[in-house]
Amino acid sequence: MRKVFRGPLLLACLTGIILVAMVGCSSENDSSDDSASETKNDGKVNGTLEIQYFVGGYGDEWWKEVISTFKEKYPEVKVVEHAGPNVNDEMKTRWIANNPPDVIYIDGDGANETQMIKDNQLMDISDWVNELKLEDGTPLMDSFISPPEVLEGDKIYSLPLVFDTWGVWYDSAWFEEQGFDVPDDFPSWLSSMKEIKAKTGIHPFITTGKYPQYFLRGILYPAFSAAGGEKLLNNLMDGKLKAWESEKTLEVFKKVEKVQEAGLIDPGFAARSHTQTQMNFLMHDNAYIPVGFWLPKEMEKDIPEGFEYGFIPTPMNSEGDSMALVPDLRPVAIAKKADNPEAAKAFVKFIFTKENAQKFAESTGAIMNLRGVNLSKNEKVPQFLKDINEIINNPGKVEMYDRKTPEEEELEIAIEVSDKVKSMVVPLLLGKINAEEFVEEMQGTVKQLRNK
Amino acid sequence: MVQSKRQKYLFLAFCLLPTFLVFVIFTVYPMFNGLYLSFFDWSGTSAVKEFIGLENYRQLFRDPVIPNAIWHDYFLVLTKVIGIMILALFFAVALTQLRIKEAPFYRIVFFFPNIMSVVIIGILWQFIYNPDIGIINAGLEIMGLENWTKPWLGSLEWALPSLVLPSIWAGIGLFMLLLMGGIMNVPKNLYESAEIDGANEWQQFWKVTVPLIWPQIKTSIIYIVITSLNGSFVLVQVMTRGGPSNVTEVMGSYLYEKAFADYQFGYGAAIGVLILVVSLITVILLQFILKREKVEY
Repeated sequence: MRKVFRGPLLLACLTGIILVAMVGCSSENDSSDDSASETKNDGKVNGTLEIQYFVGGYGDEWWKEVISTFKEKYPEVKVVEHAGPNVNDEMKTRWIANNPPDVIYIDGDGANETQMIKDNQLMDISDWVNELKLEDGTPLMDSFISPPEVLEGDKIYSLPLVFDTWGVWYDSAWFEEQGFDVPDDFPSWLSSMKEIKAKTGIHPFITTGKYPQYFLRGILYPAFSAAGGEKLLNNLMDGKLKAWESEKTLEVFKKVEKVQEAGLIDPGFAARSHTQTQMNFLMHDNAYIPVGFWLPKEMEKDIPEGFEYGFIPTPMNSEGDSMALVPDLRPVAIAKKADNPEAAKAFVKFIFTKENAQKFAESTGAIMNLRGVNLSKNEKVPQFLKDINEIINNPGKVEMYDRKTPEEEELEIAIEVSDKVKSMVVPLLLGKINAEEFVEEMQGTVKQLRNK
Repeated sequence: MVQSKRQKYLFLAFCLLPTFLVFVIFTVYPMFNGLYLSFFDWSGTSAVKEFIGLENYRQLFRDPVIPNAIWHDYFLVLTKVIGIMILALFFAVALTQLRIKEAPFYRIVFFFPNIMSVVIIGILWQFIYNPDIGIINAGLEIMGLENWTKPWLGSLEWALPSLVLPSIWAGIGLFMLLLMGGIMNVPKNLYESAEIDGANEWQQFWKVTVPLIWPQIKTSIIYIVITSLNGSFVLVQVMTRGGPSNVTEVMGSYLYEKAFADYQFGYGAAIGVLILVVSLITVILLQFILKREKVEY
């Protein structure tokens, strides 16, 4: 009997020992160390500076140039770049092991500013940033198009570097040739789409059903903001029941319903990815598409001859109301556990100049988040970007609204709300559910999330 | 040469220990670590973890997506088992019994999808289902069935059934070879005796072939079930990302979404444990359902 059990027992013990050792090793640190952000060098800008930046639609030309000029100014700093389209995944183990790079540009899949703040990974730079000035002496804090978010009363964890925003794109050359008017509110947009359909036979509106966040960010966010300002936008996306019960919210979905009922949406949208919809848009299979500033750069190899990008803030505003823009900011931050915080601060300060902002617009096709940068005379900047820059710097007809970062437990509710909205976008656009059903379903979800 | 007991054990240890160690590191450890992480609130991107006991499991029961995802998984399992087994068995019998001259060529053709990456298969079928340039809609139009054309992967009703076809297409080859191996081992004299007794080919198939290759059929079914429950998410992720409106969400794709897109790694780990439990129960049940007396011949 004893012999029979000896082998398996031995095997089980061995497995147990190995597992205990491994699981034990893996749970090295379950809490964060709050005292880690001290300066580890002598206060001078030298040593090694590690920078992590995601390379997506904007490319890496600007980063390479900025880092190269930074190295010229600070020859004693050795810069190590961690970059690429998968850099967030590649660097994940470094962040988990509490050994992050010094500076991070937060963009792309796998990195989320809100989550990083919640996980205590970013340095509070509020005291330092309040003293920063641009080369002309203007305080940096007064120079942002969209200022950094102040959390927990007085803390700033990141500086918004890239000012991107979602809106609606069209081919301005084609519109001019066909005599189509560019809309500036919902009634004019609806009649424009009806006119295009009648004249050309195409379904004027397309969005990707495979990535419903394009519709959420490109259409619904500005629509919520135009209807009820920043308060309605944030309350809806934070899962506040009253906001989902509001008449203004129902009105937004009624507008979407109208577009659907008029047969203006491409019937194949739900099966298409973002690039497929963008391709169809470029081929004039559709006339309007909601995407961010990165569209021209992303599709630069596929632009047909004579095509000219035109961009408008999403015209979901009622007649007489201002159009709404909801910035989609991509921030730069310093790791709380940065090994070289002095060099990190020097680098972050170095990138926020008007000269770098000009270069940014030239090489990325997007705008750096600095006010007062005159792009109108820069021949390397596309016309649509100059127009947008003009709108942003001279507000009036267009209002800007921020989607604020939900704090603590609210973050999880916000994620669930966003997932739920995204899951119902396709049925709404297919006409399988109506505006009332959409709003009722959301009310039920929000009640459930709040009563957990 | 007679080996001493010590030498024998040393040799056994030499053969088994490295494999055992690799198995523990790459299979047992991730499994237990997944279970361990399912008790934490962890984003998966930082060192900060909070022990929350069974909260992730409580959330599993409250989450309305989970029952649908389980149903979608079983829909794929069931349709794949039926589709693959019927076609693989049909082709295996045809290529072994019908004395087709081009049998080796067909064997390669049918096996070809098995050497392709699932990601490539997903992309390929995305083109096949494409509403504008896909051959399915084009074929329907040629046949005068324009009314039947639709954006297959974007349809709330058709997206899930549309995933079945590529799954079956990709799976036939391997199981066809497995069944062919079984059929070729069936002694020819059994068929001759059956023929003398007056059994037609259909009866020979049911009364001779199927009982004698039952172990291969059983292995194939269990293998399809396990690989579908654990792996169908790859095809889902590539072709539909669980959409539209979660109608193609399977447990694996939902795990991926929660763990890597929503930064709820602990909850993702709990979904992983659920997949393990569901797979285990299903396989145990199948073992009972598919149990048959062993045929001696």
